[in-house]
Amino acid sequence: MKHNLNIERDRELLLGLTRNDDKALSTIYVENFPAVLRMVLQHKGSEDDAKDLFQEAMIILYEKAQTSEFDLYSKLKTYLYAICRHLWLKKLQSGSWQLSLPEELEEVLPADNHMEDHDKKDEQFRIMEQSMGSMGEPCKTILEDYYIRKLSMADIAEKFGYTNAENAKNQKYKCLMRLKKLFFDKYKL
Amino acid sequence: MNDLNLIRDIERYLEGDMNMQEKAAFEKLCESDPVVNEQVKAHQHITAQLESYGRRLALQEKMDHIHASLDMDMLRDAATPAPARVISFRRRLLTNVAAAACIALVTSLSTIALIQKANRQKTTAQYEDVRRVLNNIQRSQNALINDINNKKRVPANPGTYGGTGFAITDNGYVVTNYHVVAGADSIYIQNTKGEAYKATSVFEDISSDLAILKITDSTFRSQPIPYSVKFQKALRGEKVFTLGYPRDEIVYGEGYISAQTGFNGDSAAYQVSIPVNPGNSGAPLMDAKGDVVGIVTGKQTTADGIAFAVKSAQLKRLLEEMPKEKMGGKWNHKNRLENLTRVEQIKKLEDFVYMVKVYN
Repeated sequence: MKHNLNIERDRELLLGLTRNDDKALSTIYVENFPAVLRMVLQHKGSEDDAKDLFQEAMIILYEKAQTSEFDLYSKLKTYLYAICRHLWLKKLQSGSWQLSLPEELEEVLPADNHMEDHDKKDEQFRIMEQSMGSMGEPCKTILEDYYIRKLSMADIAEKFGYTNAENAKNQKYKCLMRLKKLFFDKYKL
Repeated sequence: MNDLNLIRDIERYLEGDMNMQEKAAFEKLCESDPVVNEQVKAHQHITAQLESYGRRLALQEKMDHIHASLDMDMLRDAATPAPARVISFRRRLLTNVAAAACIALVTSLSTIALIQKANRQKTTAQYEDVRRVLNNIQRSQNALINDINNKKRVPANPGTYGGTGFAITDNGYVVTNYHVVAGADSIYIQNTKGEAYKATSVFEDISSDLAILKITDSTFRSQPIPYSVKFQKALRGEKVFTLGYPRDEIVYGEGYISAQTGFNGDSAAYQVSIPVNPGNSGAPLMDAKGDVVGIVTGKQTTADGIAFAVKSAQLKRLLEEMPKEKMGGKWNHKNRLENLTRVEQIKKLEDFVYMVKVYN
């Protein structure tokens, strides 16, 4: 019964995470990071390695949680730990420093199917990051304001000093076209 | 500008800004023109991508914020207990080992102690003093004194312990075993005629288990002693006899010297093959001529017919150690029993062999 209750709590936390509830995020982070830190330190990793690893796992969890088909059937702790272990294993294998694999990491990893998805998403993120990086101002901010921060075109026009929303819109379309070009140059649908 | 119009239319279509006619027209266009259709999909994809990109950036920022608020020092300590754990494990091991060693030590020591004690008990169990337990009832000294005051003769109480003693001088000095009179409140000696006299212990020697008593009663009348004490060693096989009080009547016993040492190789005693019973303690051991060669002290319980007697040389040593002024009487050196038959010897001897009664 206790086990089920714990899963119930984890489900609620996850729900909070999907709704961008800062408190849920913080709770999950603080409760689960120490275990991952311990694992990484035990396998001769650094604290920064642990941070990167854990945050990547959190992103995977977050993105998974956004999709409706995701259902948590193990404890959050187990899930995050498994993902971190998998990521760490990959890092050890692909890294220039070929460490002998710790025995406990050689087990079959349960989170394998989650990872393929994530790799694709991660690739798109990197491309988007690059594309946005190479966009100049004010394009970058206009796009961010409209598509991410969901500001209205009127607010954006005022912020950037356009005479009316229509002008701003035209500017935004131009920017979006450039971004599309940059993005789809590297990423084929 | 065509592209710009197209993108505007796509966005308006996707965001639901178009009215019914426009929407229908646009959908038609999409169906007929695959390029436009593709553009719609690309637009959808890129806006979704932009949104998730933004969410991810925001998440990352939040997480960095949370991470910065973590107490990393504490987490680091908690995450690296490995060396500490080894030390504590060793320490715990050490404690366990120490405890085990202590238990082992205590166990072995106590075992040794128990074995030694058991051995000692075995040894003492093999040896038995042959004093007689006369009465199990302990009487208080007061009762005794009352008794003495009232009757001035033999106390009605038969006494607590009994042994045998014999005269060594004509003025009332009597030899018996130390263990007979040890711890005595008062001592009485009684002859074969039933006359009892009060006596006190004047000299005791624990090592040879001998005690010298002095008859203090004024009614005691001295007699010349018919035997002497022979201080030379008696030889193995020499016939010996004894007179003692294993019961209320004097009892004669006969045997021979079987070894020159006593219990556990005690060189101050003989091993004698002679019937010995409780009450024989302090009885004289005499050779065929009627001279005293030893004093019966005890027997071995684990074997039959093995008794022990202190050598007369010990008695001599004792008498020499004794303060001279205490011994007033004459020491008899002349044996008057030599050529008598045993029956006649005993007849003369028995007057000088006393029952020793001890009250405590």
